[in-house]
Amino acid sequence: MLRSGLGSRPRFALQVIFAIVTGLVGAALLHLIIVLLLPEFSERDAYTRILAKGEIHRFYRLGEKPDRTGLAKDDPFVELAVCAFDVADGPVRLTAANSGVPFWSLAIYDQSSNEVFSINDRTSAGGGLDLVIATPVQLTTLRKSLPQAISQSILVETRQADGYAVLRSLAPQKSFADIASQFLDKATCTPFEWRTRSRF
Amino acid sequence: MFRVPILIAIALAIAFGGGIWSTLVALDATVGFGAIKLGPWEAFPEVQTAAADPYAKSHRANGGRLLYASAEGLVFTASVDDAGARLSGNCTYRLTGHTPPARLWTLFAAPPGGAPPSAQSDLPTALNSRIVLRDEAGSFDIALAATARPGNWLAVPANGAFRLTLTLFDTPTAGSSGLIDLTMPRIEKTGCGNA
Repeated sequence: MLRSGLGSRPRFALQVIFAIVTGLVGAALLHLIIVLLLPEFSERDAYTRILAKGEIHRFYRLGEKPDRTGLAKDDPFVELAVCAFDVADGPVRLTAANSGVPFWSLAIYDQSSNEVFSINDRTSAGGGLDLVIATPVQLTTLRKSLPQAISQSILVETRQADGYAVLRSLAPQKSFADIASQFLDKATCTPFEWRTRSRF
Repeated sequence: MFRVPILIAIALAIAFGGGIWSTLVALDATVGFGAIKLGPWEAFPEVQTAAADPYAKSHRANGGRLLYASAEGLVFTASVDDAGARLSGNCTYRLTGHTPPARLWTLFAAPPGGAPPSAQSDLPTALNSRIVLRDEAGSFDIALAATARPGNWLAVPANGAFRLTLTLFDTPTAGSSGLIDLTMPRIEKTGCGNA
């Protein structure tokens, strides 16, 4: 294995270059792997943070300062409430009565934060929020005999059972702050109980 | 004698160091591809959808922010003025013109990556379409400065760079195919320092 100093120097330089090239290829691979897998393993994503707020099926208001989950309002005029839901055991109904908010909007996301459905006060019927989230199978059952309680509701189909809803209300002036807060405080996000009536 | 371990160490150091560093830089630099650019303004209308590119998905998973869905609104940000210079709290700017059609809009300035201003602030740190003063043609002229200005005044952070955020609520902009024709307000520098 002993070599004379003459031949080994260029060879070593070549090996170093080869090591650097290998390293760069590895870096590119690692870059792609991290970017592609980060959404799967992230513990800082919106869904995980909302779950950390507490039990699901209720709206949580967000404040101006980030809480321990890191969630906060992102616009001084926009009040925010979030609710994580799971429709595996049954549909979930979201309601909120509009008491004069100039603007409200709702976004429903699946657990990887892909938009499933979104609506605002102009696109909803009557200006209030009344919406049922269900899986395709549950929706088929629901549509067969639509219960009276949700005959006016918007039916939203979600392929993934887990997800979260974000409800926003706008208070463009300070005098609207109370109305915007009330709108969010009164919003519900609860599993919808419905009995399948036996028919002959 | 130690050549092979050294070579392996070089390769591994470059692979892990470079891979992690480049990912951090890439996720920090941009929200993803597919931006609408209108002058200095930038928006990402598809970043919250399943059609978003892998970088956008990675960015939003890491950022953990609550994004605006398509029926809610579209967020435009600007960190440079019309001339391409960074927005700085040491300078004053004029924001003039119209926004694309929207039912409401809000505007505020915050340091890059910083928290938005408080609604309880004594200074007008945020404006919206209902409280802004307009001329006969319906366009507005907003002064961006750290110290008080007559007319529409948006208080910006006194020192260092800041970023403008203009959120359009209930806008057809996000779904519009003719995005290039949309006009955003111009951002012109009017002076720097105490002048």
